Amino acid sequence: MAELNPIQRVKEKFPDKIAELWERSPKRIYITVGREDAKDVVRYLFEDLGARFIIMTALDTRQGIEILYHFSFDTLSKIVSIRTLAPMPFPEIETVSLIIPGAEYIEREIHDILGVNFRNHPNLTRFILGDDWPEGVYPYRKEHKGQYPYRTEEEQELFRKEIRSKWEK
Amino acid sequence: MSNNNHNHQLSGIMKWGFKKSPWVFHCSTGSCNNCDIEILDALTPQYDLERFGILLVGSPRHADILLVTGIVTVQSFPRLIHVYEQAAKPCLVVAIGACACTGGIFDGSYHQLGPVDKVIPVDVYIPGCPPRPEAIISGVVKGLAKV
Repeated sequence: MAELNPIQRVKEKFPDKIAELWERSPKRIYITVGREDAKDVVRYLFEDLGARFIIMTALDTRQGIEILYHFSFDTLSKIVSIRTLAPMPFPEIETVSLIIPGAEYIEREIHDILGVNFRNHPNLTRFILGDDWPEGVYPYRKEHKGQYPYRTEEEQELFRKEIRSKWEK
Repeated sequence: MSNNNHNHQLSGIMKWGFKKSPWVFHCSTGSCNNCDIEILDALTPQYDLERFGILLVGSPRHADILLVTGIVTVQSFPRLIHVYEQAAKPCLVVAIGACACTGGIFDGSYHQLGPVDKVIPVDVYIPGCPPRPEAIISGVVKGLAKV
């Protein structure tokens, strides 16, 4: 399976879906695809080419939230990143956690801190932020400039007491 | 919450048993994973803590020592109390790293509930970002000498 160059195979499989292919070095390849095609490319890399899913990352850019799926071909020592863009103000993309179950947690984390809505995700709930965190505040977006809901020392003490009281019963 | 005056309650045989083979449970409450890696380093064959009977266990119910790393975040706070209440008393709580001891660079940030000693009683503080494995071993041994 891995004898053929996987990049060539992706090119042949999706000739009109790849917007840009940047080989920064023989070991590091970036493939830019449209938002609706990202799931198909991810499925082809993961299921047909046998690539290992490393992680997903996302970052806030001027054009919108850029989402990257990082894959590794361990026997060929190549790392391939699928880049796609979810435009603001309501970034949204199809989930890949139905193809890759391990992506479920990282999608929840990206949903928490960058506010990307993953469609058809089985359990898109709070992951690293507290359950009382306000809706619509995403700490890693650039628009907030450090204005986050902040607990003073007294409020922290109250919260600690509240949780502790559940254990003292 | 349980009191931390267990040092005076221990009888001779319990002290002996506690110090002979302390099992540790590792609990990360929001660290950057750097201190966690140093704990794993301390457990590698190079330092070989198992010759002293120190063993990493998978459940707090088996543990004599809790190794806590990182500042306590809002999400990890109920879970840390859960772990502490499950651990068999007496247990030694060791705060590892600058964040667990004082808050470190996360002190005053928006999603934290203070260093570990504001949440559960702490016996040993090991500062450093991250502390070296030698410092972790030295701190745990000093804590055992206190028992």
